[in-house]
Formats: sequence, C-alpha cells, structure tokens
Amino acid sequence: MPRNLLELREVSISFGTLTVVDALDLEVEEGEIVSLIGPNGAGKTTVFNAITGVYKPDSGAISLDGQSIVGLPPHQIATMGVARTFQSIRLFQNMSVRENVMVAGYGRTTARPWQSIFRTRTARREEREEREHAEELLSFFGQRLVGYRFDQPAYNLSYANRRRLEIARAMAARPRILLLDEPAAGMNPTETQEIAALTSRLRDEKGFTVLVIEHDMHVVEGVSDRVVALDHGAKIAEGSFDHVATHPAVVEAYLGKGAAATK
Amino acid sequence: MEFFTQQLVNGITLGSLYALLAIGYSMVYGVIGLLNFAQGEVYMIGAFIGLFVLQWLGGPGGLSVPVVLALVLMFAAAALGSGVLGVLIERVAFRPLRDSSRMAPLITALGVSIFLQNSVLLLLGPDIRNYESASYIPVTSGIHAGPLRISLVRILVIVTAVALMILLTLFVKRTNLGRAMRSVSHDREAAAMMGVDIDRTIMSAFFIGSLLAGVAGVMAGLVFGRVFQLMGFVAGLKAFTGAVIGGIGSIPGAMLGGMLVGLAESFTSAYISSTFQNVIVFCVLIVFMLLRPRGLFGKPEIGKV
Amino acid sequence: MSIGVDQWVETADSRRVEPDGWWGRGSNWWGSIPPWGRLGIVLGLAVFVPLFASDFVVRVGVNALLLALLAVGLNVSVGWAGLLDLGFIAFYGFGAYAFAILSSDQLGIDLPTLVAVPLVVVATGLLGVLLGLPSRRLSGDYLAIVTLFFSQIFLELALNVDRLGVDLTGGPNGIAGVTPFHLFGMRFSSPASYFYLFLTVLTLVVIALYFLERSRTGRAWQAIHDDALAAEIMTVPINRLKLVAFASGAAIAGLAGSMFASFQLGVYPLNFQVQFLIVVYAALILGGSGSLSGAVLGGVVVAVMLDLLRDPGQASAAFYGVIAVTLIAKIRPWKRLGAIVGGAVVLGSVVNAIATSLWPGAFEGDAVSTGPLASFLDSWIVVPTDPVTPGNWAYCALVACVLALPLVHGWKRDALVVPTLYLAAFVWETRLVGEPSITRQLLLGALLVVMMLGRPQGLIGKARVERV
Repeated sequence: MPRNLLELREVSISFGTLTVVDALDLEVEEGEIVSLIGPNGAGKTTVFNAITGVYKPDSGAISLDGQSIVGLPPHQIATMGVARTFQSIRLFQNMSVRENVMVAGYGRTTARPWQSIFRTRTARREEREEREHAEELLSFFGQRLVGYRFDQPAYNLSYANRRRLEIARAMAARPRILLLDEPAAGMNPTETQEIAALTSRLRDEKGFTVLVIEHDMHVVEGVSDRVVALDHGAKIAEGSFDHVATHPAVVEAYLGKGAAATK
Repeated sequence: MEFFTQQLVNGITLGSLYALLAIGYSMVYGVIGLLNFAQGEVYMIGAFIGLFVLQWLGGPGGLSVPVVLALVLMFAAAALGSGVLGVLIERVAFRPLRDSSRMAPLITALGVSIFLQNSVLLLLGPDIRNYESASYIPVTSGIHAGPLRISLVRILVIVTAVALMILLTLFVKRTNLGRAMRSVSHDREAAAMMGVDIDRTIMSAFFIGSLLAGVAGVMAGLVFGRVFQLMGFVAGLKAFTGAVIGGIGSIPGAMLGGMLVGLAESFTSAYISSTFQNVIVFCVLIVFMLLRPRGLFGKPEIGKV
Repeated sequence: MSIGVDQWVETADSRRVEPDGWWGRGSNWWGSIPPWGRLGIVLGLAVFVPLFASDFVVRVGVNALLLALLAVGLNVSVGWAGLLDLGFIAFYGFGAYAFAILSSDQLGIDLPTLVAVPLVVVATGLLGVLLGLPSRRLSGDYLAIVTLFFSQIFLELALNVDRLGVDLTGGPNGIAGVTPFHLFGMRFSSPASYFYLFLTVLTLVVIALYFLERSRTGRAWQAIHDDALAAEIMTVPINRLKLVAFASGAAIAGLAGSMFASFQLGVYPLNFQVQFLIVVYAALILGGSGSLSGAVLGGVVVAVMLDLLRDPGQASAAFYGVIAVTLIAKIRPWKRLGAIVGGAVVLGSVVNAIATSLWPGAFEGDAVSTGPLASFLDSWIVVPTDPVTPGNWAYCALVACVLALPLVHGWKRDALVVPTLYLAAFVWETRLVGEPSITRQLLLGALLVVMMLGRPQGLIGKARVERV
C-alpha cells in the first residue's frame, strides 16, 4: 500500500492581508506524478516555497514521509529528500555545467575543508563519485549537456538547456520527491514534448516521485497520475485529468463564470 | 542635573547632525538599494565649503557682512556644492554599475571615498582648520532656563535641522518627485513603466541626500569647530548606524535613528567613558542588528522566489 | 534527427575561435601549461631573486609576498564566497598583535615560534567566526559596514586598551622588540631568509587553497556567491559555510600578521588603518577577484608599485610607463595613437613657449623626476617656480577632464585625451611626485574605481555574470 511521501495539512500562508495559500490539504504518494495546476497567482509556487522551507506557513503541517519539515532550514529539508527547480531559472551562472550539478551533492558528502586540502582518501573518493554521478545525470538528457559542455559556464547555455540543467541539478540532490516548477515554460512544442517524456522517465527510470506545476495542459494530461487544481490558494478540484479538466470550478477559474455555465 | 541637561543638549545637537546624514543614506538606499560609502566625504567637503565662504567673507575674525547673511551663504554654498558633488558621485560610481553585482558599486564608492579624502589632503594640506564660531556667534547668548543652558550655536543647528527634516517629510509626501522616489524604492521596473524618469529620480535622491550632508558638515564646523579631511569617516559610520537602527530606507527612521545615536554617544561619552565611546556605540549597533536587523521602521523583506 | 543528438554540439570543434593579440595568445599558452608546471616556473624564477638582487629589492620582495598572501586570504571571502569583508585588516592586526604579545616583553611571554604561530592562526580563525556570526543574517551592504565597524573597534581597542589597566598593546606606541621567527635553531634575520620563508608559506597556502577551490567547500562558496538562496535549497548550509569562509580568510590574515610582526620586529597601530585595507583590496581587484593567481599577481604588482613610489625617479618611470602601456593597449590603430601623443607633445611645447615668454622667470622649477626622461620633461612641461598652486588648479582640471572623458565620443574624446595627458604629467611633476603617501592613496582609490568600471574581473580574473 503506497503511503504518502509528502503531506500538507491545512497549510495557510498570508502576506499581510493577502491570503496566498488557504488551508490547503495536499498529498503525494510515493511513485506518483502529481500535477498542480491553477491560474496565475493561485499560490502554486508559494506552496513549493513552503515545502522547501523558504517560507514558513502561518499554520498547518507539512511532512515528508511522516516527518514534519515545517520550520527546518531549507538545506536540511533538501538533504532529507526534497529538491526543486525554479520558475525563473536560478542556476549558478558562473559555474560550469558539471559544477552546477555537483553542488547539489553537498548534503550527501562529508569531506571537511582540511580533508579536501590534504586530499584524504575519503575526500578523493567522494569527489570522484560526485563527478561521475553528475556526468551520469547529465547524460540523462542525451548528448546536449555532455562532452565539452561539462566545463562550459552555465551562462553560455541556451534557454532549454538551462531548464534541463536545473532538473539535472535537482536530481543530484538525490531527492525522494522532485518539485518541478513549470519545467516547460518558454519551450517550443518539440521541447515541450521532450520535457513531458522526461518527466515520465524521471519516475520510471530513476524512481523519483514528482510534483509538477504546469500550465500546458497537454503535458499535464500526458504525465499525470493525478491532478490538483488551485485557485486563490485553495484546492478546488482533485482527481484524474479528465475529472479536473471538466470540473466546473476549474473551468470557471481559468475561463470565467460564463464559460462554466456553457458546460 | 545641569550636567545631565547639558549632555541631553549635546546629544540632540549631535543627533541632529547624524539624522541629516542618516537621511542621506536612507534616501539613496531607498532608490537604488545600495549604500553610498562616499556620503561621509560629502559631509566633510560641505564643511570645507562652508569654511571657505566664511573666509571669503572675511571671517572668522572680521566678517564684512552681517552674521546672519554669512551663515545663510555658508549653508547655501555647502548645500549646493555638496549636492552637485553627490550627483557627480552617482554618475561616476553608481549609475554605470546599476545592473551589476552588489559588490561592484560598493567597492567603487569606497575608491571614490578614498580619492576624495586624499584629494582634499593634497589640495588643502593636513592642517586642521577651525570655524571659530565663538568669534561671530556669541557663546554666552542662548537660552538659560534653570538647569537648561543651550548656546545660540546649538539652537541654530537644532532648529535648522528640524526645519530641514520637516521640509523633507513634506517633500516626500506631497511632491511628485517625492512620490516618484517612493515608487522607485518599491519597484523600479514598475515605476519606469508608469512613466517615472528613473535617472532623474535617482539623481535627485543623491542630490538631496548630499545636500543634507553638506549642511550637516557646516553645522559640525559651527558646533565643534574642527574641520579636517578625515572627519567624514567616523561620522559617516555613526550616521549609518542611525540609518540602520531606524530601518534603512525609511526616512523617519533615519531621523529617529540618527537622533538616538547622537544621544547614545553623548551620554556614553559623559557617563561611561569618552575614550571608548566609539567602541561602545559600534558594539550597540552590532547587537541591535542581531536582534532586529530590519530596524525600527524597516519593512521585513518579502522577495519573490 | 533523433531527440538528444545535437548537431550543434557535434560540430563545436569546427567553430572554436583562437584568441588573437599578444595578451590573448600569451594567456592561452600560459593556460595550457598544467598547474604544477606553472607553479614550478613561478617558483623557479622567484627563487633567484635574493641571489641576484640587493637587500633593498629583497625587502620589496618580502613585502610583495606578504601582500600576495593577504590578497589570497581576502580572496576567500570576497572573491569566492562573495562576502564583502571590510574588517579584514582587523584580522591582520590581531594576528600581528597576538604574535607580538606572545613573543616579546609586553606580557613577559616569549613562546617558541612553532607554538606561537599556530596559536595565533587558530585564534584569528576563531575571531573570524565571531565576526561571521552577525553576518549570517545580513546581506552584502550591511555585512560590509558591520565588518568595517569591527575593524574600527579593533583599532580603537588596540590604541586604548592600556587605559583599562592591562597594557596589552602598548597603546599608540605599539609593541617593539618582537622576537623574530626562530625555527629549528635558525634565527630569521636577513631579508633573504625572510624572502624564502614567506615564499614557502605563500606557496603552501596557495596549494592548499587550490585544492579547497576544487572541493565541495569551494563549490559551495561559489554557489553562495552566485545565488545564495538557490544554494541553500540545493542542500548547501549557507550560514555555516559563510562562517568557514570568514574563518579561513581570517586565519590566513592572522598568519600574515604574525609574519609581518616578525619581519618588522614590532607592531604599531598605524600599520592597520583603513589605508592599508584599501591596499589589499586594490591588490585583489587589480589581479582578479576570484582567481588565486590573480590575487598573487595583484599583490606583487601593487606592492612593487607602492615601493617604487618612494623614489621619485622610479615612481616617475612607473607612472609614465603605466600611461604608455595603457595608451598602447587601448588605442588602435597606430595612427590614432600617434596623433594623440603627437598632439600632447605639441601642446606641451606650445604651452611651454607661451608661458616662458609671457612670464619669464616664473617657470624656473625643475621637473622633480630624474633619469633619462628629465631633460625631455623640462622642455615639454612648464614647471612653475612655485609649483603648489598651479599644480592644485591643474589637478582640479585633470579630474574634470577625466570625468568628462566617458561622456564624449569619437574624435572629441581623442581630442580630450591630449590635454588630459598633458595635465596628468603636469600634476605629476608639480604635486604628486612630491607627496608620495598621498599619491599612493589617490592612485589606489582611482585604481579601485577604474577597475570596477572598466575591467571588474581584474587583469587575469574571469568575467562574471551577475543575477539581476
């Protein structure tokens, strides 16, 4: 019986008088791919920020595999198994492609500065393992980010490659759950299809649980086991894609009151 | 008791100076999110400008014009000169680096600060000069009410500072330019899209902030007499302390913070130790910043991630 | 074409462009030598310096190595982790004073070097952690000013703590009579011995940092520099790493401080003022913030330049030399350069002729510079008998011209360079050469501004892309 890997209970976040997340309940079972949809401003990225520890919820509980992660510092939550990508890409521009991915391995390695300086066996081994792991993850994307690209600074990459690199970096944190924030944003149809296929491969080949924020409904339809729709910070529908896509509240949220009435 | 009121008056006088300087820091930080390291040097140069006007008018010994006129001219010249200098600094050190890292403009401003200090040293020599205000503003006149004794010089300084602060508050609240500055401090891109001339707004913030610093420089000369090229360094640090305590970016905060620092310095110097007054004031700031980094009136930062 | 196979990537090699120009080709060749080779070449050259140079030059070398060490230490927090540490001098001073206290009559303690130095290094490192603690929640600018406060506090304490009862630091007179380093029975006293000692220490520190840069710690620091929040979300404990950065830089500064105290045989508060902080920053920025070899290069160049300033002849050679190199490097084609230089020569001669005929006797001064240029300068530059006042006015005019240069373009800018050059030489001869301590600060301040505006990555650093 698959259990909930990620669980949000009655999570509320307000900025001043603006309620951005409203008593939200959300579960993601292990091995699922769940899509989080909703119009702009619905609070989706805020939910991601709360899960990763950037914001502290005003009330409610967030737990990872039964363990509460509210109030923990972001780097600890990340080490416990939560990794994400960003809606606006936040790569380490001046570091190389490979280095970007290797950074995320910090939480899983232990070499102290003095060990790195004196190149102890542990330090050398960890370095080698991280390097190989990074190169292996980068090859997940075909030939695009390998070879001479390993040493290229991240600011040299094309837009689509940056998105891919962000995903590779998130994978390197060895998470149990991947939070992807609009991974297909700004991509052309071919690239979007690729991202959709990639998302499924993340679960099928690598075993990650995935929570995706996405606007492109073709992608949502193609990858999701389950869809959760938010509007104004509250959940308005949940279920299979067909169920949610035709749900009157969802149609209204996206298209306005008139559209729902015609359904 | 008289000692206490004396320190109180000292503190308020000093606080007025720091408040004016602190406003400059906060105004600049408000519009560009960076600290103008060279603010202290603008203050120092303002003091020198005032001194030159004084000397040009025959002072300190034999003023050829009435004292009031001399003072007005000194303040006006220092205000104008410092304001222009501030605009120059913005053009040279801040504008070209507006979109680069946070460090670059700071280091550049540091370089400008050192350059200004040493230029003054080169051009004017190392001798300490003195306003000798006692020779044209009688020391004995002023307010005597029981334990309260405020010399005329200090009354002048405090009144001028308060007047400027009131003017500035009105300016920020009522005028278009003030509104523009507030909008730029909230969201530069949105302000630009609403038709605000960003360059002019930022330039104005530097102008006004530096103008206040120059006026504060003349005040320092009148009250304390000594004018020398390193006077801006420590004063700048303390004024920054005040700006941060009040909440960097907040102008009423800067006024209050500057006043608090002045009072703290005065009382520390009198009652605890004058040798270590700077150390104690700086330590207080560090503790304060650990406990409440956003200051008294500062807004907690909410960034979009 | 199948997904995942990128034709652009496959044909990358055919599009590789070789950098041209002697700087580009030179640095390419240098970069192709493996790191050990490069280190070997530099060390090999350095080793010969004390053998063939006078004591004075060796002393300059020692100062250069010391400044290089400081720049390398500053690079850890400023260049790698992106933390603007303006209190760095306090660590240097603390290290120097701590060593002095432990190795002199000040408190009656005189520990052997091998005990004192590690103690000092560790203590300074801990001080770095202490300074770093408030930094955890502060952003760049706050951090900068708070660290500046710390250095001020340190300085004031060093000057005044004797009034509290214990004469720890000797007040304004500092501590004299420091026992110099003695290792394995050897006493370090000659400049040459210090040169080799400092060279060894610098080499070891650089090697250690080289490995650290390529470790998880180094990567984490660079990640923090690029995007601290993203780093934190990617498992990096940013607060702890900031502390480690401060502590590392502080430890290196403390080591440099103890070395300095030993070499100078004493410590005085004047050594650790803000003026020296600017020197270290200028060294790092000039060489290239973020680059180990840049820090070393910048330290050596700035130290040598500053020492050159002490002697007017050498200073002038350096001054005119730098101007010449900048002109040659920046102004192409040669015709344009020739026109500008020719224009400056003509301007000078014309001014000379007019001035000496209109005011005979007023321009009898000699150019302060000596050496081969002197005679040329005497006929080119008018040197007033009383140089101070005209020199001051010329200085103001020079600053105005330099500020105006970026504002005009095309031929107008070239035309403006001509009087700027003349004024620069004029001001140099009349005022700057005669005031070396002021001039060095002026030039350092100007250097910081010019580097940040024109070439923020320094001479050999890598250009950075910043998150806006």
